Amino acid sequence: MRKTSLCIAVAAIFGLSVATSCAYAQDKLIKIGGLFPMSGPGSYFGVQDKQGIELALAEMNKTGVNGYKFEIQYEDSACGPLPATQAGKRLLDQYKPQIVLGEECSDATLAIMPLMDEAKVPFLNAGSSSIKVTDPGNPWTFRIMPNEVMQGVDIATNAYKRLNARSAVLLYENTNAGIGNAKVFGDTFKSLGGQVLADIGFGRDVNDFTAIATRIAGLGKVDVIPTYTLEGQGLRITQALAQAGVTKGGGGGAIQLGTIWLPFGFEQKAGKAALGYVRIVQFDPTDKRELVQNFIRSFKAKYNQEPTHLNAHAYDQILLIADVVRRGGKDPQSIRDTLAATKDFHGVTGSVEFDKHNQNIRMDTIHYMETLPDLSWQALAWN
Amino acid sequence: MYSGRRVGYLIAAAVIALLPLIFQDSYWRTNLTVCAITVMLAIGLDFILGYAGQLNLGHCAFYGIGAYASTLLITRLGVPFWIAFACAIALAGAAGMALAMFAVRLRGHYLAIASLAFAVIVHQVLLNWISLTQGPLGIYGIRPPPPIALPGLPVISFANAGNMFYLVAGFALLFYFLLDQILRSPIGEALTAIREDEVSAASFGINCAGWKVFAFGIGSAVAGAAGAFYASLVGTLVPDAFIITESFTILAMVIVGGMGTLLGPVCGAILLTVLPELLRGFGDLRLVLYGAALTLVVLFMPGGMAQAARLIRPRLPGVRAKLLHDRAA
Amino acid sequence: MLAVAVQQAINGVVFGSLYVLVALGLTLIYGVLVQINFAHADIVTIGAFAAYFFTYTLGGNYVASIGVALLIGAALGWLINASIFAPLRERGSELLPLIATIGVSVLLQNAMLLWFGPIPYSFDSPYSNQVIRLPGGTFITLQNLIIIAVSTVTIALLYGFMRFTFMGKALRAVAQDRETAGLMGINPNALIMLTFVIASALAGMGGAMLGPILVLTPFAGTSVIVKAFAIVIIGGFGNVAGTIIAGLLVGLIESYTTQFINPGLTDIVVFTLLLAVLALRPTGLIAEKREENV
Repeated sequence: MRKTSLCIAVAAIFGLSVATSCAYAQDKLIKIGGLFPMSGPGSYFGVQDKQGIELALAEMNKTGVNGYKFEIQYEDSACGPLPATQAGKRLLDQYKPQIVLGEECSDATLAIMPLMDEAKVPFLNAGSSSIKVTDPGNPWTFRIMPNEVMQGVDIATNAYKRLNARSAVLLYENTNAGIGNAKVFGDTFKSLGGQVLADIGFGRDVNDFTAIATRIAGLGKVDVIPTYTLEGQGLRITQALAQAGVTKGGGGGAIQLGTIWLPFGFEQKAGKAALGYVRIVQFDPTDKRELVQNFIRSFKAKYNQEPTHLNAHAYDQILLIADVVRRGGKDPQSIRDTLAATKDFHGVTGSVEFDKHNQNIRMDTIHYMETLPDLSWQALAWN
Repeated sequence: MYSGRRVGYLIAAAVIALLPLIFQDSYWRTNLTVCAITVMLAIGLDFILGYAGQLNLGHCAFYGIGAYASTLLITRLGVPFWIAFACAIALAGAAGMALAMFAVRLRGHYLAIASLAFAVIVHQVLLNWISLTQGPLGIYGIRPPPPIALPGLPVISFANAGNMFYLVAGFALLFYFLLDQILRSPIGEALTAIREDEVSAASFGINCAGWKVFAFGIGSAVAGAAGAFYASLVGTLVPDAFIITESFTILAMVIVGGMGTLLGPVCGAILLTVLPELLRGFGDLRLVLYGAALTLVVLFMPGGMAQAARLIRPRLPGVRAKLLHDRAA
Repeated sequence: MLAVAVQQAINGVVFGSLYVLVALGLTLIYGVLVQINFAHADIVTIGAFAAYFFTYTLGGNYVASIGVALLIGAALGWLINASIFAPLRERGSELLPLIATIGVSVLLQNAMLLWFGPIPYSFDSPYSNQVIRLPGGTFITLQNLIIIAVSTVTIALLYGFMRFTFMGKALRAVAQDRETAGLMGINPNALIMLTFVIASALAGMGGAMLGPILVLTPFAGTSVIVKAFAIVIIGGFGNVAGTIIAGLLVGLIESYTTQFINPGLTDIVVFTLLLAVLALRPTGLIAEKREENV
């Protein structure tokens, strides 16, 4: 009798462990590819994207979604089309992900798109603004960030109406994103009745902006200076403009306008030259929604620093993927289809609804910030 | 042609034929194609530097001219690929000759700086002439060479990485053969004479200026071909692919491989192209290695891998036995 | 309009004097050694980083950091000459040392990349944002004023050294004819080393002063070096007076091109001028009696 119950007990334990391991083996994996700049002038994007992604993955993998866990592999696309193409090919060939995230720089994103198209893998972008990413209507490319037209029209209109700007100087780096953004701003501003006094593009190798600042100073009264450049050059531009007495930070009257390219912490590096800078960010830390406040709390707990919008939109990319898996996506094709059908996703940066070009058309991802004298940000309720 | 060399070419052809069978994934096949392209660049520069003795630091400019010329002809004017290819070679060659004619009186450091300046100007023009080249906006979606349909055979598509490799490597071998033939002819002797001592060469009646222009023309033409293949391989063209550091990379390949031999730079090119891929995990360390390799080779073994091979050869057992045998006979 | 033109002239002189510091080093080396050191740019960059870490990490005084960068530059110059130029000089090759320095340059740049990372450092000196308003609406930052002052003093000292001291004369003797100078009891190798050390010290110093102006990355020196080469040629290899004038000229060309044409075209203008000089007057715009096997 004893022996039988012992046998039953052993069998039960055995059966239980088999059942558990079967259930464990059924834990499926969603492989995510990450193409981000880890080297070069845009590398601060990559570092911050990784932080946001790791935080989100840790949260999602605690319980999994529909039995799926998530895994990511990063490749360095270095913010340029060449390394992006090579990194993209390597990622697709060797890792074979079901979905790819990236890039930040428009040039790199544009280079990666045809690769994803050919491999039929969905490509989710949260950082590139060039209209060329979604305008042609690529079925495999998705963007949750507002594109340069959405941003440009909005900020130009706000500059004209809320800041009463009538004269502008366009200042931008000579890349797709720089040229594209500047053009949209210029066209919108002019159509409203404003005047573009100068259109100044510069290469990524330009170091000294005193000459450019002097040129702008010689133009007379300038109300706004939309500036499209990465952090390194952005710092020097802001300082040079203040030195030349053009912007508010230097005693002048002009206001620099910008977008998400400059990270949080820019003000601390630029100093009081950055006073009055108004820019679009994708993340509003004063947003009262519980999702946002939880994100800030867990980010601070993990990394001991305040999250930036770069962390936030990376975090949202993972959240969106999780949402897609929850709705039934599991292989590249079904993930793509489920993504395209997204109508009401809420992330920390705002909500997502894709139009037929797979562009997110919700405007609540555009938040405006102004730099105060103590170098902190004040949220402007423009949207 | 000596039978030994014929065997050499056959072996090379066999290796080229076998490689895509060993490496079946498109990532490595693409890398091998990039190898073939860098081999073309290296032997072109070697022709100018190693054989004619002209320190040309502007090789990347011809590479870029070839890439943009063929791409613009195809995308803007609808010119068929192979005609555009030929035009790219001709244009790059012409640019090389123009630089040579300009710099014909310059030697050594002056030529180096002049070629550097030329490369900077070409890069800046590519970058700023946006209406022509799209500049930093880049040209995307460049197609591979058009498929070839031979009667009775299935269509050969170059979207297939393996076929693309065969095409480019085949051309690399062809260019190698052509350069080799030129160098073995009296032209090669003239170039070597110019390299060793230009004044004496002139006193022998050698037209130094003419042959220098010739060398530049040939070397840059091959670079132009490499450029045309590069554009159709990568599919994306931006001016920053042709910045001055590219010239230094090609220079490193030539030196590490061995200036003054034709096979040396081939090995140098393959080594310095494949090594970074294998070292991918080390990221920027690979560029540190590039720099270290170049410096150390120049300091300790200026003849590069070719010199090293010459030193090792007699010590190999088979060769040693043969030498002893020959001496005894 | 006049104010703008004057301001751009000021900008041009500031940057010009920085170029001169860097180019002087190159021209000195060439004058004595008939060699080009491609790694000169990286000494500039290392000087800038040295000054940065001395000021930010060690909390040192900025002006003192210029001295620190000078010393580090000098040390690097000593190292490069001892390990590369001196051994290769024995072999009597003309082009190999240049190629070796290209290798050193690539190595140094990427070693810095590994060590310092690619993210630009924000190097602000206490003076780089202090603006002095001049008459007519023009301005100059205190940093720029320091640059002009230090450059002028350095150049004057160097010129005096070359003309009036024994060492200076010995250097010029070695530049003219190394063998005969040796016969006269001068130790050419020691003097060549001295030249290298001085030239690299100048580069390091230039880096420390450039740091607060440039976007500081491991590649910061490259943007300066190619122009420095142009200046050396336009002014004439080995010609100190020519280098100074050419440096200021290039600085002015840059700011005026930015003002009236396009910032993107400054390089094209400068290098086309360079090619023109090479074509028409290869020994440089400023005539100097010098026998040169061009």
